[in-house]
Amino acid sequence: MDADGAEGNAAELQADSLESGSEVLLPQRPELLSTGFNPALGRVPALETISTTLGLTLDFVPSWTARRIPLKCIGLTLPEGVEFLPPPPVKPEGTAETKKAAAKPEADVVDGEAPKKKVTRLKPPPDALSLQDRLFYLLQPPLESWLAGQELIMPFEPFSYQYEGIAWLFSSQSALLADEMGLGKTMQTITAIRLLLRSGQARRILLICPKPLIPNWQREFRTWAEELPVVVMEGNGARRRMLWTMPGVPILIANYELMTRDLTEIPEDEQPKFDLLVLDEAQRIKNRESNTALTARAIKRRRSWALTGTPIENRPEELGALFEFMEVIPKGGSPDLRQLSKLAKKYILRRTKDLVMKDMPPRIDRDAELELTDAQESAYRIAEKEGVIQLNDLGDSITVQHVFELVLRLKQIANYDPLTGESAKLERLQADMEEIAASGGKAILFSQWTKTIDWLEPRLKEFNPLIYHGGVPTKQREPILAKFKQDPKAHILLMSYGTGAVGLNLQFAGYVFLFDRWWNPAIEDQAVNRAHRIGVKNPVIVTRFISKNTIEERIDRVLREKRELFELVLGEGDNNNRSLSMSASEIFGLFDLKARHKDGARSIGPKPVSAGGEAA
Amino acid sequence: MSGSAKTDQLRLGFMETIEVDGRGHIGGLLITNQNGRPLEFQCTTPVRANRTQEILFGETLKPWLLGELIGSTLLERVAIKPSLVVTSDPCLLELRNHTQVPVAVAETAAGKGAGGTENRRLQLGGSVLRFHDAHHGDVDSLQKQKHLIPDSADLQEPLERVREALAETVRTVFAR
Repeated sequence: MDADGAEGNAAELQADSLESGSEVLLPQRPELLSTGFNPALGRVPALETISTTLGLTLDFVPSWTARRIPLKCIGLTLPEGVEFLPPPPVKPEGTAETKKAAAKPEADVVDGEAPKKKVTRLKPPPDALSLQDRLFYLLQPPLESWLAGQELIMPFEPFSYQYEGIAWLFSSQSALLADEMGLGKTMQTITAIRLLLRSGQARRILLICPKPLIPNWQREFRTWAEELPVVVMEGNGARRRMLWTMPGVPILIANYELMTRDLTEIPEDEQPKFDLLVLDEAQRIKNRESNTALTARAIKRRRSWALTGTPIENRPEELGALFEFMEVIPKGGSPDLRQLSKLAKKYILRRTKDLVMKDMPPRIDRDAELELTDAQESAYRIAEKEGVIQLNDLGDSITVQHVFELVLRLKQIANYDPLTGESAKLERLQADMEEIAASGGKAILFSQWTKTIDWLEPRLKEFNPLIYHGGVPTKQREPILAKFKQDPKAHILLMSYGTGAVGLNLQFAGYVFLFDRWWNPAIEDQAVNRAHRIGVKNPVIVTRFISKNTIEERIDRVLREKRELFELVLGEGDNNNRSLSMSASEIFGLFDLKARHKDGARSIGPKPVSAGGEAA
Repeated sequence: MSGSAKTDQLRLGFMETIEVDGRGHIGGLLITNQNGRPLEFQCTTPVRANRTQEILFGETLKPWLLGELIGSTLLERVAIKPSLVVTSDPCLLELRNHTQVPVAVAETAAGKGAGGTENRRLQLGGSVLRFHDAHHGDVDSLQKQKHLIPDSADLQEPLERVREALAETVRTVFAR
């Protein structure tokens, strides 16, 4: 600061002080503050150099070293799978049994890029909460590559909906696979079992099925999983007891009757345990309080799968029994329709042919409405007239059983006149068969009665008929089916609904005759689907014989009306599984009789058809 | 090199990393047999470079973080040691400098030819693998075991499984 500036500032300060009337500050004179600095500037600085050495160490050296930061890890060890039998040596090409490894890419690299294939990835089940459980499923290879002949050879490439079914079953603790008949429930189940065993998720599996289906399961296991050792429960009590508890048996197959008989005799603490229990034709446990259902539910297991093409035969409540077995509802629980629908979405997988097999050859249904022959007509009218008179005479003591007996009698006459042997149906059948045989075709005929089948056999000799019904010993049944398939001269297989309606694969037969009608079209559909199923190459022609102006026509009308009336239970596009059995009232109505019994709404059809039992 | 007890078995490692928003990277290593069946899986917790590391590593940050730090940790942690580690990320090739196990990038058609010489490549199954330039013996050693891999094997596919498993881990454990 120069002197003038300082003076100016002092004057301003003084003036401010005067104005404010406060004490006057005396200005500081610059000469009083002289430091002698200005003269010093004029002097020449005195410089001097000295020598010194730099220090060897520094007081502060910033340093940084790249070090491994310890990281935490989350680990998952996947269980060792069951060691499979080594695959059999490949047969030389050209033999009929040579199997092709499915799903092998046609070209591994095309212009450097593998061809894109649709893949089915396993998804963690919704109820898998732990990270390890969820990762287990995510880390599995896509089914297509898992089954692409690397470890698990598939004889045929499955359809995409089958891959989905396999993936769904594999990741389900509780599952009801309810695909329509013919879509390959057996194959999907076997493949899912195979994967469970291979991935170490299961080591001991119990499969329960109706007795006549055991050879079918054995055959399917040989086809789809030939490396899997399968043991069938048979023999005397001691042997069976040993089989039930014998370790090291990956797959045990037993029928419902043996399951119920044997397991109720084994003490609680010796009951066998299974990683998976599969019930085939699971509608067998629809009666919750039956011994079969109670025994099945009591089996100790980690996973519960049920298979059926008809999850509801009569009432939606039947699903409750299956859900109880699957342990998704509490014991004795009775979910209402809304809850059933919710559970169905989560635990039921059902696909219909209409939905998944758009390219499958069609099933052509045709009703053959036939006039009775004169002898049949005469016998029929007499029987009907006398029958109705008798029913009326019974008055209030009439029961549905009385009516039912008359219905059966009339249906039998509609098949053939027992006195003369005349049969309009046989005449038509013979005419059709001549044409079928001439073209080398094969047909399956279904009847309610073994007696009718036995009656037909000698009359169809020229077509080399084969018989398959409850009267045929179990051991003889498989050779009969094999002969029907292989013998070009065997043109017709005569089957009963009870024995032949479920579980058999007869897709090489292009014609199905329903000689008489079953009480429930769902059962008829099951029968038809023996021929119209996966693998069928040509349309299947289904001929339903209906005698005009007879009880058959009236029953057909009632069933048709019911088919139209009942709501779809398992979603749109489902044309089966409605409550179609005839009730007592409807049976009475066939003769313009009113139900006089308080249980008029009870279903009175023959006992539910099962693969193990004959209807008549 | 291999932890396999049997000479006819080949254990493959599939390694991937993903970035978790704001938390850094996590890595996963899936060990399978030669047919792609999973045997073991390990994944790391998220790790993020600090500012000093970012400055000092510069362009080598990702190879260090993913290859050396995450990759080595995973490889040390697995009980079943693989004969080969496959990845889709070239940054993970750095792992090869810290292990005796060959490391290779499974190339897509788009990425083919991006770096590396032809003699560092090997067709294995349906995939072309590119190995580390500095480790000349890797291709030769794998050539001897090449027959164990089925021709139809897709070595890119298991990497997808690892990425899905990592995403699931993030959803289940870290995204809280």
